[in-house]
Amino acid sequence: MTPRWTATGLSQDLPKAVAMAGHWQGQDLAVWRSATGRLQAWNDRCPHRGMRLSHGFVRGETLACIYHGWVYGAEGGCKHIPAHPALTPPATIRVAVFACVEQDGVIWVAPADTLGAPTALRGLQPLRSISLTCDVAAVLLVEPALSGEDTLRGLVQIAGQACEVCLLVQHGASGLTLHALCAVGADRIAASRWLEDLRRRAERKGTA
Amino acid sequence: MIAPQVLNEWYPVAMASQIRAGQRRLTQLLGDPITVEVQDCAIVVTGQGGALRVTEAFGHVWACPGTPAHPLFPIPEALETGRRLVDVGVVRVKCSPLRAVENFLDIAHFPFVHTDVLGAEPHTEVNRYEVNIRADSDEVWATKVTFYQPQAAKSAEGGIVTQYMYRVPAPTAAVLYKTCPARPDAWDVIGIFVQPLSEELCDVWPWMALYDDTTPQAELIAFQQMIFLQDRSILENQIPRLLPLDPGMEVPTQADLTSIAYRRWLKKRGLTYGAQMVAA
Ligand code: FES
Ligand SMILES: [Fe+2]
Repeated sequence: MTPRWTATGLSQDLPKAVAMAGHWQGQDLAVWRSATGRLQAWNDRCPHRGMRLSHGFVRGETLACIYHGWVYGAEGGCKHIPAHPALTPPATIRVAVFACVEQDGVIWVAPADTLGAPTALRGLQPLRSISLTCDVAAVLLVEPALSGEDTLRGLVQIAGQACEVCLLVQHGASGLTLHALCAVGADRIAASRWLEDLRRRAERKGTA
Repeated sequence: MIAPQVLNEWYPVAMASQIRAGQRRLTQLLGDPITVEVQDCAIVVTGQGGALRVTEAFGHVWACPGTPAHPLFPIPEALETGRRLVDVGVVRVKCSPLRAVENFLDIAHFPFVHTDVLGAEPHTEVNRYEVNIRADSDEVWATKVTFYQPQAAKSAEGGIVTQYMYRVPAPTAAVLYKTCPARPDAWDVIGIFVQPLSEELCDVWPWMALYDDTTPQAELIAFQQMIFLQDRSILENQIPRLLPLDPGMEVPTQADLTSIAYRRWLKKRGLTYGAQMVAA
């Protein structure tokens, strides 16, 4: 499979000093922002005993596991083991790190050795993320103006006006998530209502 | 196919008082449906292949789906006069039954999971303790365990250094002994009896034998249930779902000696239900 950038959330939904769950093609990730705003994406598995790091807590520039409090710093290296405070953790204790960038208000992840940047989304602003219980085919069926596979784009009618939208597709453990963007200057409230209506129609189609 | 070593062990399947009160419990053991009920004044456990061997102890009903390799383990303290025996009830956890036991044997998580109750930063250090397999009973024992606790028990006022001993007498049961705030010369005894519904789902039955005549029953139960609900949020989010008996990708430290001994003991005895042998 060719490594490529996948959208795993919107910048606006990940404040400073917070960790959240993310995904890259079925791989669970812990995506977190440090106190100064530095963004990182790691394998969602603590090297100690496998607890999900996305449940952890951010302190300063580090992410700590919620189970035994092991502290991980830049590049996933273990900095501190609370049960053995005098010990300097060996450099071999390390969480696998993914590439993670923010662009156009979207958080993108890819394997660490990925070159280049995600596709730019000019003229669009982030709207919101929404999860659906149906598949992408159902979304395309109910909104024929949209086309694409990982990125659904098109000119749709929102409150009687033609508006450009972009839905970034993410497949996670809990199903399908769409990270939605709409044209800069569009009515965000109307666009948000359109998105909810799209979900309702697609889910009805998907389960029919 | 479930290994005979697994089938020939005892597992908790119900709280005895509830069954005696006339409740009929439709549940599961090692993936198979079973019924626990009273028939002609006796507690009977019925599976697809007929009646299972049953014994009643420590407030709970225990069943063996195979031919018992040995009698159910004893807890001598349960018979001591002056102790209050408390059945806490059931907590359903979406995890391997072995992970539930391993977590019960762990103290390093107290400051982070049971914050300000069983532990608190900066008192996070786990001092060296001793672990061995007792030759006579073939049980895992951890002794000389100490930990600073802000509120060790319902009857504790303020922080104290608590002493612990841990014991694994059966693949899905563990018993801990801890300093008793009300009687410095005695130990409080807390057990968890884990019913393996499947390899990734279990019912946990905590049980206590305490020297505490004052705390109302409801408060004792609420305290233990709060502790187990905090543990559940961990247990349902560990990767992989099954307990790895080969440490492989994990990094155990000195604080994990009990966990290491428990995993080795399971592996040596072929008690692999809820476990995985490959490093993944
Ligand atoms: S599992 Fe993360 S610190 Fe123990
Ligand atoms: Fe715990």
